[in-house]
Amino acid sequence: MERQFTEEIRSLRLGEGETFHGEGILAVTKALLQSGVSYVGGYQGAPVSHLLDVMVQAREYMDELGVHVEACTNEASAAAMLGASINYPVRGAVTWKSIVGTNVASDALSYLSTAGVMGGAMIIAGEDYGEGASVALERTHAVAMKSSLWMFDPRPNLPSIVRAVEKGFELSEASNSPVIVDLRIRACHVHGHFRATSNRPAAMSKRHPAQGPAPFNYDRLSHPPATFRQEKLKAEVRLPAARRFVAEHKLNEVFPGDLDDIGIIVQGGLYNNLLRSLSMLGAAELFGASRVPILALNVVYPLVPEEIVGFCAAKRAVIVLEEGQPEFIEQEIATILRRQDVQTRLHGKDLMLMAGEYSAEVLVGGLAKFLAQHAPQFDTSGGAKWLAKVADTRKRATELLGGLPPRPPGFCIGCPERPVFAALKLAERDTGRPHISGDIGCHAFATFEPFSMGNSILGYGMSLASSAGVGPMMAGRPLAIMGDGGFWHNGLLSGVASNMLNKGDAVLVVMKNGYASATGTQELISSPPKEARDSTGASASHADRTIENALSGLGVGWVKTVHTYHVAEMQRTLTEALTTDYKGLKVIVADGECQLERQRRVKPENARKLSAGERLVKVKYGVDEDTCTGDHSCIRLSGCPTLTVKDNPDPLRTDPVATVIDGCVGCGLCGENAHAATLCPSFYRAEVIQNPNAWDRLASGVRDSFKGLFA
Amino acid sequence: MSLPDRTITILVAALGGEGGGVMADWLIEAAAQSGFPAQSTSIPGVAQRTGATTYYLEIYAAKRDQLGGREPVMSLTPSPGNVDVMVASELVEAARAMQNGYVSPDRTTLIASTHRIYATMEKMQMGDGRFDSDRATNAAKQLAKHAALFDMRELAQANGTVINAVLFGAMAGSGALPLAREACEAAIRKGGRGAEASLRGFAAGFEIAAGTHATPEPAAKRLPPVMQEILDLGVARLKDYQGEAYANLFMQRVRSLGTNDAKLVGETARHLAVWMSYEDIIRVADLKTRASRFERVRQEAGAKPGEPVVVIDYLKPGVEELASLLPPSMGRSLVSWAEKNGKLDAYNIGMHVKTSGMFGFLMTRSLAWLKPWRPHSYRYAEEQQLIERWLGHVRDAAKRSVPLALEIAECARIMKGYGDTHRRGKANFLAIMDALMENPATADPDEQAKSIRKAREAALADPEGKALSADLGRPADASKPVIWLSKST
Repeated sequence: MERQFTEEIRSLRLGEGETFHGEGILAVTKALLQSGVSYVGGYQGAPVSHLLDVMVQAREYMDELGVHVEACTNEASAAAMLGASINYPVRGAVTWKSIVGTNVASDALSYLSTAGVMGGAMIIAGEDYGEGASVALERTHAVAMKSSLWMFDPRPNLPSIVRAVEKGFELSEASNSPVIVDLRIRACHVHGHFRATSNRPAAMSKRHPAQGPAPFNYDRLSHPPATFRQEKLKAEVRLPAARRFVAEHKLNEVFPGDLDDIGIIVQGGLYNNLLRSLSMLGAAELFGASRVPILALNVVYPLVPEEIVGFCAAKRAVIVLEEGQPEFIEQEIATILRRQDVQTRLHGKDLMLMAGEYSAEVLVGGLAKFLAQHAPQFDTSGGAKWLAKVADTRKRATELLGGLPPRPPGFCIGCPERPVFAALKLAERDTGRPHISGDIGCHAFATFEPFSMGNSILGYGMSLASSAGVGPMMAGRPLAIMGDGGFWHNGLLSGVASNMLNKGDAVLVVMKNGYASATGTQELISSPPKEARDSTGASASHADRTIENALSGLGVGWVKTVHTYHVAEMQRTLTEALTTDYKGLKVIVADGECQLERQRRVKPENARKLSAGERLVKVKYGVDEDTCTGDHSCIRLSGCPTLTVKDNPDPLRTDPVATVIDGCVGCGLCGENAHAATLCPSFYRAEVIQNPNAWDRLASGVRDSFKGLFA
Repeated sequence: MSLPDRTITILVAALGGEGGGVMADWLIEAAAQSGFPAQSTSIPGVAQRTGATTYYLEIYAAKRDQLGGREPVMSLTPSPGNVDVMVASELVEAARAMQNGYVSPDRTTLIASTHRIYATMEKMQMGDGRFDSDRATNAAKQLAKHAALFDMRELAQANGTVINAVLFGAMAGSGALPLAREACEAAIRKGGRGAEASLRGFAAGFEIAAGTHATPEPAAKRLPPVMQEILDLGVARLKDYQGEAYANLFMQRVRSLGTNDAKLVGETARHLAVWMSYEDIIRVADLKTRASRFERVRQEAGAKPGEPVVVIDYLKPGVEELASLLPPSMGRSLVSWAEKNGKLDAYNIGMHVKTSGMFGFLMTRSLAWLKPWRPHSYRYAEEQQLIERWLGHVRDAAKRSVPLALEIAECARIMKGYGDTHRRGKANFLAIMDALMENPATADPDEQAKSIRKAREAALADPEGKALSADLGRPADASKPVIWLSKST
């Protein structure tokens, strides 16, 4: 795993009255333990990876508490895990990145919420929306509504987040419905503190197992005819119970203000940005006092009609601040007000942007319009001046700077996936450019320069399935690229099995790097065995054959495993797969261990050897500056961060020459590329022998004197 | 005592692996040491993989025990115009922050390292695609209330630490943080591992930003050589390349230009000297086996005295390399046979030559000994012929218009690289020579110069030749890479 959570694990043990310091998602983890969960599961992904990662690393303590932790293979299996709370009075939580994870989970979620739960069932969803988002931008809210899942969007401070988790379990139990705690990216990573309470071991858990299964009860099955009754229960019992609980426990908060004939209804998660925006308009101060009354919805679904009417009735106008589209909350409020014949003017997306994050700038713009219309006596010119100043600064900056080179994320130094795309770029010279179905994972960085490869991305593990319709109408074969993470997440079934069933003729490249790397190098079923990782510094991913075995088990007849750094061999294999007469699925398993994981073992081991005086060969690649002509074709085939350019030392040349800077891990791709593409003779491999032995020194001395003869 | 009415806001723009997260932790800890409420957030996501990433912090500069249990509500997102301290670990990231409006003249202290880490888009160009650093430093001076700009990476390396320590020191030293130096240093100490090195880096950054130490002078930029220097360099280079007579040929060719325009003579001579010392297998073998080269490799690889260094060269000679050594008629027939049968790249032999070893050295050195044979080789004949043709165009153009002649001279830059890259460059050069020098569509020298410049730039920016084809009115491959859009656009 990418990160060590030693410190964080310690803070999970904090007791009553002690202060927890740390990031939001770890506060959630602590809150789960304080709530007495019996089981936790999930699928990793920013911004919630840490929740699961820390629990996996804290396995010992979890065993002590009796909490079962499951690293699920996808969100569907995580959602199904919540089924434990249908028949047993146990609390459980699962986590994933949303909207994508929620989509994958939604089948199980429908059945879960239809059956209803006995013990508290919770989904911690990392709402991957706005700046830094890496997935399709859609709202989890839609799934909450259609499946009757109650949804928290707490104010982004640790006490509010922790309260949402703790109250969430109670709400789930009071209404027999699963609950989502939705956290935005920055809320997951916000660093703050809260007063901890003691962790509560569950009454029923793996430490205190049940003596037998629950009695047979058809009503707990999401199966007709029970489903008809369950649908009624949702509307007639569970929803009202949930509303009652939200109101009784005052989960939503009203902040009064003196401009009390207007008001703002805001998703809890946006509260802090709203406060900052109001203070830019001169309508709020730092400690939360606002001149405009605010209703902060810590629970965004369901709304409590009485609360909405109570807040709006005496007001001339309210504005709903709700990020993303469509405006579900605003629509629900409109319905509530209309049904009760409340004549308060309702604003929202008419004054605000439909799409995009609600930054302070966006909020100030919208609120200024709202205030101008409904509180004209209030001076908002401060906000307008600020916006004008910002626009002016940006304009000046653009004049002074011109266009800037973009810097998207990319493959790490020494990444084993980079060589595959170098090989593909070379193969394309012979085969022509194939239709490339991309996927989710590190390999999606190949869509950026210098590779610019990929025609579509349809979701995690979907690349092969997404080429099913393309292949038959294409002269050449399409190529699907998938990581091992995506392969196990669902690519094996929706891609490989489907292609086999339909006797497809596609080409699939599976990046076998050994881990779910993009999300933080979590373990997979095909992660290299411990022994392989303990031995040397070499790539360990070849030591596991689960992917190859699974493919042959499914009857795939053309499977070739190629070590990714062998660029020429990879190029030949790609060309063969794209052009062979063989009809049927062709899979290239691109084998090369994730360099992050490899370096995590190699670096400390090398440091140890070095300080212990043991012989150590350090490898670094380099470019001879006097034979490099500065054409940078090597860079167009690589994009490695350590293969870069520098001023040309030759006074007669102006274009920069290529150079390999510190940080090179000696993966050898530059040399392999130079060979495979017949690029140039400038690359060299330097092996520095540290702590040399007597033989090294003698041999080196002899060689130097020999070369001296020709100097 | 009255309380401040707003927080101090800090935005950090860093690249993956620079310890931005650790720096945010230091700031939070230093604020805690001072008794101040503070909050940090970040957008790590996939940006941890070498991309740009940001950390945002707010610190309320009042002791928590004076607040009567109240908590300041801090924002989770930075807003333009409201940033007190903008920190950038790299110069273009500082520029990006400015372009996004995070550096404002009335409020922002900008702490930025002036070193560059080139983006792929900059370094993949055939020519020089690097962003002009001066634009960024100039903008910083105009847009920031106060700017501390120096090479913090170098300072970090000199102190055996990571850039985050120097950045933190510079923030503290600039006086823009409400945190005492002691609190910051205590925070670093609490971090444990590597604290001593971090503290050294912190102190170095602190003192420069505080003005107690002078800003280290950036290495003086090399001025482009003037005409006489170029001629001297050219003569020396070609003497080394092929001897006295060849150097004389160079001077003869320069004189044959028949112009006194120093710039034209200088530029043409520069390209001529580089071209005449073209990189054939003899030249490469020679350069690779010089003592100075082994010394440079030792340095680049970071070898300490007494550590033996093994050097392995990646060579892959093929039909062209062989042909280049043959007598012209044989070489020509071999190449035209290979071209006709698509065998130019068919017989390359990939070799890992241990040039530092006795056998590898001797093998490579022996190729360098073929130098006296070079003037009798096929490649020599080809290059000289093309040089004369190009020189003829420069000479003719010089009579009509110096700017036109300069553009033509400059075209020599297109041909570089080896193997396939060189072939493509040469094809582009020949295409431009044919279409725009020998058969120009216009008689107006200014127009002609403009068209040549445009075509040359297209060839350099886009080595696969799509833009150039379009420029020369030829069908281009329709596929165009998707350009990644930055957040600011």
